[in-house]
Order: sequence, then C-alpha cells, then structure tokens
Amino acid sequence: MSRSVQLERFRPVLRAGNARFSREAAARPILVFEEVYKSYRQGSPVLRGMSLVIERGEFVFVTGPSGSGKSTLLRLLYRAETVDDGRILFLGRDVARLRDDAIPFLRRNVGIVFQDFKLVASWSAYENVAVALEVLGLPQRLIRARVGEALERVGLAGRGDDPAAVLSGGEQQRVAIARAIVGEPALVLADEPTGNLDPQLAIDILGLFEEVHESGTTVLFATHDRTLLEVRPRRVVVLDEGKAIDVPHGIAAEDYDNRLPL
Amino acid sequence: MVREWRLHALSVFSLAVAFVCLGSALLVVTNLRAVEQRWAHAGRASVYLRDGASQEEVDALRDALSRVPGVRGVRYLSSGDARIEFGQREIDGDRKLAAVPVEAFPASIEIEVAPETPETDLADMVAKMKQLPSVDGIETYRSWTEKLARLVRGGVAASALLALVVLAAVLAVVGSTMRLALQRRRAEVEVLKLVGATDGYVGNPFVVEGSIQGALGACWAIALLAVLFFLVRGRLDAELAALVGVEPSFLPWQMGMAMVVLGAVLGGVAAFASVRRLAAI
Repeated sequence: MSRSVQLERFRPVLRAGNARFSREAAARPILVFEEVYKSYRQGSPVLRGMSLVIERGEFVFVTGPSGSGKSTLLRLLYRAETVDDGRILFLGRDVARLRDDAIPFLRRNVGIVFQDFKLVASWSAYENVAVALEVLGLPQRLIRARVGEALERVGLAGRGDDPAAVLSGGEQQRVAIARAIVGEPALVLADEPTGNLDPQLAIDILGLFEEVHESGTTVLFATHDRTLLEVRPRRVVVLDEGKAIDVPHGIAAEDYDNRLPL
Repeated sequence: MVREWRLHALSVFSLAVAFVCLGSALLVVTNLRAVEQRWAHAGRASVYLRDGASQEEVDALRDALSRVPGVRGVRYLSSGDARIEFGQREIDGDRKLAAVPVEAFPASIEIEVAPETPETDLADMVAKMKQLPSVDGIETYRSWTEKLARLVRGGVAASALLALVVLAAVLAVVGSTMRLALQRRRAEVEVLKLVGATDGYVGNPFVVEGSIQGALGACWAIALLAVLFFLVRGRLDAELAALVGVEPSFLPWQMGMAMVVLGAVLGGVAAFASVRRLAAI
C-alpha cells in the first residue's frame, strides 16, 4: 500500500490534491478537546472536563505540576489511552471513537518524542528512523533519501550507521526527533523531551522542535521546565486540577509567582 | 530468530520429541495395515484332513476343489511335508523339531483363492467342505485378518490421541517461545506500534517463526525416525518378513509431508494466538 493511500484512509478530505479534498475541512482546527474526562482511579480524575482548541501550525507548550495530566493528554491523543467522556477531534475525527484497526493510521499522522527516547538500542540511528517509513511500505530507495534528509535536519548527517546504544543522550533525542518528523506528520507530540538532558542541550532540542514547527507542522510540547517557557514567548496551556488554562502569549515571570500554579 | 537461536533451537527440539511420538505411532499403524492387507488378500485357505482320510478321499476332494470357481491352485501337504515346511520357518528348527511327533502336523490341502473372490462365495465353499467326512477343519485366516484389523483400529485411535498430545505440545511450546521472544523484543514492538505499524505488521514475523519452528520440529522428527528405522530394519528385516510375510516399510512421503504441514500450521496458529493480544500495545 502506498503512503498516500495509507494517509488517505485517515482523512482524505484534508489532503490537497485528493478528489475528496475540502478546503473548509482543512481550515478547521487541527485539535479540539471537548469536555474531556479521564481518571485512572475512581474519585481522582486527571482531566475534568478539559476543553482546548489548537489551530494548524501552532507551537504550544503544555505545562503543569507533576501529575497534572500532561502525559495523559498526549497519550489520549495517540490513543495509548481512551477518554472516559468527552471528545478529542484530530483533523476533525474523534480519536476516542476510532476503531482499533484505525489507530495505526492515526499514529502515522502523529510524530511522538519521549523523555526516554524510546529507541531500539541494538538498531542503528538509520534503522531507528527508517522504521517509521518501513511500516508504510515505501521503497527502500525513497526511505534512504528521506532518512538521510531527516538525520541531516537534526544534525546527525553521516551518523546513520552508529548504533543507538553508543549515542549520547542529546544525540539519541535527535534520532527520536528525526523518527518523529521523517513521515511528515501533521502533528508532533513531545512528552518532556528535554527531561533527561542538561539545560544547554534542552535549549538545542527545543530549537529543533521550533525548526520543525517553522516547516508548518503543529507541535505540542509538554514540559515542566520553567526555563524553556521563559526563553520562548509562545502559547502555553497550563493544566491544573484537570482543566486547561490558556496563556496565548507566553508566561511572564510574575505569572509563576502569582496567578499560575507552577 | 537468528539472534535468539538458542531459544528457538530448544523449541524445535521439544517439538521434534512430540512429533517423534506421533511419527512412531503412524509408523506402527502403517506397517500393521500393510500386514493386514497382505493377509486380507492372501487368498489362502488350509483344509485340514482327518487322520484316517484315505488317498481316494483326498484325491476326490482335490479334484472337486480344483473345479470350484475362484480356486486357482490346490496342493496336498502330508503330515511329513507340513513338519518340514514348519521347520524351515523356525529358528533352530531342526533341533526342536526332532522332539515334535509327526502327528502334531495334520495333513492338509492348501488352496489358493483368487483375491477378487467374494467373501460370501468363500464362506459358502467353507460351509460345504465342512460337511465332508474327510475334512477335520478349515482355516481361512480370517480371524488373523480380523485381529490385525482390530490392532490397526487401535493403532489409529492411539495415533489420533497422540496427534492431540502433539497439538497441545505445539501450542504450548510455540506459544511460550513466541511470548518469550515478544518480551525480548518488546522495545522493538513498542516502537513499531508508535510509528503506526498494524497488528499484522508486528505479528506476522512471529507467525512465520512459529510456522518454521513447527515445520522444522516435524522434519527433525522424521529424520530421526528414519535413521532409527533403517538401523533397526537392517537387523530385523529378514526375521520380520519371514514372520509376517511383509517387509517393514517407512512412512510414505505423503504422510511425512502431512506431518510437516501439520507442524507448520499448528506452529503458525499457536504463534498467532500467543502474540495477538500482546502485540496490541
């Protein structure tokens, strides 16, 4: 099955050039959370009627104290978890109500980066990135070209043959970012991607995500690192007591001390 | 599979042991069936004569029998001839035979019956001959055939039971091996699922591995059985052939092929059942 066919199975109306392409549908927000509830234990919900809208091409920080539901929010998006109530619309489709066999097609439209990188240590950097294209059944020639480009974008040109296990933490995270973007997804989710890195590396990695964002990709960046929020005046969504507090133009220093629960 | 060769080798060995049990049972059944068919189509009957039967009565009986439809040959065997013929089949016959009185071997008329002769015609002929005063008894070897048929049926039932044991063994061994392999490759599976691999994409290699293990287990079992069979046959061939009239034969290739296919299918099904839930991360 070609990549275009694989993607069309998810949202053909959003694919320019497709016979069913709809300009109106493509103009809608990329992500809509409507009254989302999620709890792991009875009586202590993580998300309590959380609502949020994210437009196409936005870069949004998601922050909040530990246990506030940052990771849960992202896991709900790529259907590692399901909502208890409410809707999550991604590209206009309710993620919570996707059938199990549609989940892989959802994930092909979402690049995910984790704090612990989630690389296969015995694979090379190239193999770790190429896997995202191999599941699409693309020809090897095309995979080689696109993986080469992705590794170059994250500053690892010529390091493709290195086993993931011998790379430094920062390099491993770059490989993980390359894997997340090589399929040109509509949305990139980053779950504390700088949590295991020193401050300078964290800034570098954030810079990489910003480059990805500049190419038109929507980025949702979950972090509890105040420094990152301070250095970049971007939209911030603060999760507190299961609800989202939207700060459209970034958090000023006084917000930490006064209004926001950070 | 190559990286975890010890795990898979152990699994294949366990499967081979299970298949050796099944193969042995099938080997026994195959040879019993050959003996049964040999005797069922032997087309022989022995008409035992009374001790006082005169030569005229014997000649008249031979003449009458040779004219019965379906009878191909009639041969008179005196007590002395019977003792000599028996002695040729016995090990150390000469020494033991000296102690057996000649009366222990009744004279008989050996009849060769066409194999296509219907059972009813043979039964009629036997019933009529039993009425004759010179005839003491008739042996059509049907009881032998029936005993062998019962043995074959028992063997088939035992083989079916063993097939169930093999089924359980394959499901357990391949299932456990695949679960273990999946645990070892959990990181790879997790990455695959995160980048949008379908359950089939993740699970199919395990199903193929399970099939290969099942087929390899069956192949090894057949090879092992073949080696043992030809080793034993080289020593007992002549004795067995003299005793039952049939040379022992190995499993027909179709049966061997069926075992391999069974192993592959069972291995694939076991692997599929094992990884289906686990691969859905």
